[in-house]
Amino acid sequence: MTIAKRYLRVVHLLFIALLLIQLLPDKSTKDVYTGKLITFAVAAEIIILIISSFIKKEESLKLVVDIASFIFALLGVWSLATAKFNILNDLLFPAPGKVIHQFVEDKDKIFINIESSLGTTIKGFLLAVIVAVPLGLFIGWSARVGSAATYITKFFSSIPPIVYIPYGIALLPTFKSVSVFVIFLATFWPVFAGTMSGVLGVDKKIIDSAKVLNVSKPEMLFRVILPASLQQIFLGCNQGLSVSFILLTSAEMIGARDGMGYYVKYYSDFGDYTRTITGLLVIGIVVIAVTFLFNKLQSHLLRWKR
Amino acid sequence: MTTNKIEIKDLTVNYIDNKHSFNALHDVSFGVQSGEFVSVIGASGCGKSTLLSVLEGLYAPAGGSVQIDGKELHGTGSERGVVFQHYSLFPWMTTKKNIEFGIKQTHRNIKRRERSKLADEFLTKVGLADAGSKYPSQLSGGMQQRAAIARALAMNTEILLMDEPFSAIDPKNRIILQELLLSLWEGDGTEERKTVVFVTHDIDEAILLSDKIVVLTAHPGTVNEVVNVPFDRPRSRAELVKTDEYNKFRNKLLSLLNTDIAERIGGEEVVL
Repeated sequence: MTIAKRYLRVVHLLFIALLLIQLLPDKSTKDVYTGKLITFAVAAEIIILIISSFIKKEESLKLVVDIASFIFALLGVWSLATAKFNILNDLLFPAPGKVIHQFVEDKDKIFINIESSLGTTIKGFLLAVIVAVPLGLFIGWSARVGSAATYITKFFSSIPPIVYIPYGIALLPTFKSVSVFVIFLATFWPVFAGTMSGVLGVDKKIIDSAKVLNVSKPEMLFRVILPASLQQIFLGCNQGLSVSFILLTSAEMIGARDGMGYYVKYYSDFGDYTRTITGLLVIGIVVIAVTFLFNKLQSHLLRWKR
Repeated sequence: MTTNKIEIKDLTVNYIDNKHSFNALHDVSFGVQSGEFVSVIGASGCGKSTLLSVLEGLYAPAGGSVQIDGKELHGTGSERGVVFQHYSLFPWMTTKKNIEFGIKQTHRNIKRRERSKLADEFLTKVGLADAGSKYPSQLSGGMQQRAAIARALAMNTEILLMDEPFSAIDPKNRIILQELLLSLWEGDGTEERKTVVFVTHDIDEAILLSDKIVVLTAHPGTVNEVVNVPFDRPRSRAELVKTDEYNKFRNKLLSLLNTDIAERIGGEEVVL
């Protein structure tokens, strides 16, 4: 990459524009923490410059820079609409600096809640995957044609998992276990269905070449059928994961005492919309981070596919 | 006369396709001696691949018998190695892992390090010394078949079954692969040769490689004739194709292959 390609980017103009906007006088009567916003923007800009110097692929740089451009543009418009011109109601719409300030202020509390939310999700999700994949492999493989299991799965997976919550509350001792239970159900059925459809779709030629190698039954299941159906399994896992987050936050808003859903619900009940928006943004970032890592894992395990 | 390694007697196979059952092979009988290279040729649809899937143990015959070393064949077995036209290799394993996995199937007690050494050795033999860490999707069709051959040989089975292994390869690479298989199979004379059943529709391929050629006729598949290939080993394609004997023999095979067509169109034997 040439130096121009590395450093001559719109994102840097947007960064300067964002700083210039901060020079305008504040119209809002509330404290808007302009300094915090500037610190955040400068830190982001420094990170972008570091990435620009070291990144190898032009495509990846473009991605980073485009995302950063969006963030700077959003912060600029957001500052103008709140702190600078006070177009939006400043009770409902805090200035960006204020949200950043709130995040720093609350970071311990927020991390505890993230930990709680992630812990619940991971427990339910992993438990479901650990049970659903071997079961799906086994059932899909034993009843290779015209399996009733497909229809039974369709029935159970058509029930929105959220409706299990009231029953779960009656059934289980703690609200935490209810959340794990509901996430388990939400992940189990799509992963189970994905595994079975993966097994049923494995190319007969692949099964034949395994058979003529005289592989044992466990080898057939775990070294042949499992990798051959991995793409379908991941399809189910992705579905399970995205539903899990929706369910978890909903569950937390119903009755939990911690977690990110609880944080948002708790403070919006008090009319603390700065914390509400902080919570929303944090949830977005956490979900994106988890999805990103999961996709990395997926493309690593499926690297043999073109 | 020695007893045959593989003995096929009155083999009848019915294929069920869209609820229609049809007779794919009818009363097929021939034997393969130990260390013999036998090709099965015939037009497409004559049941030659069906015959091989019976030998592989993937398809059960409707009648007759197949014996290996005097024992009735039941299902797949670790004394037979197979190379298919496609998908012999598992796409999620690297080339080397594929070979190691194959070795593990026939040599359960072999150590990991030994297995890795053996895999490298056979990769080198087929000219893929540098491709061990590649996935099959990163290899050309020809290289994939090289790896499949390496696996089959590394598994060191007594019998090799090959189902049109070079049919999907371009003509130039096909010739290179035939020569490679020929030299690997002929060896240096110190080791016992493997018993091979090789299915193809390519007459020249069959002549170059085989000791004996089984010519099948279609509808239903029956053995038209079993012909011994009268050329000395080691063979060289370049010298073989120049001789008159080669052309005469080739024409004889062609007319055998076309008997059924000649009958159907009501003409004499066709000599091309």
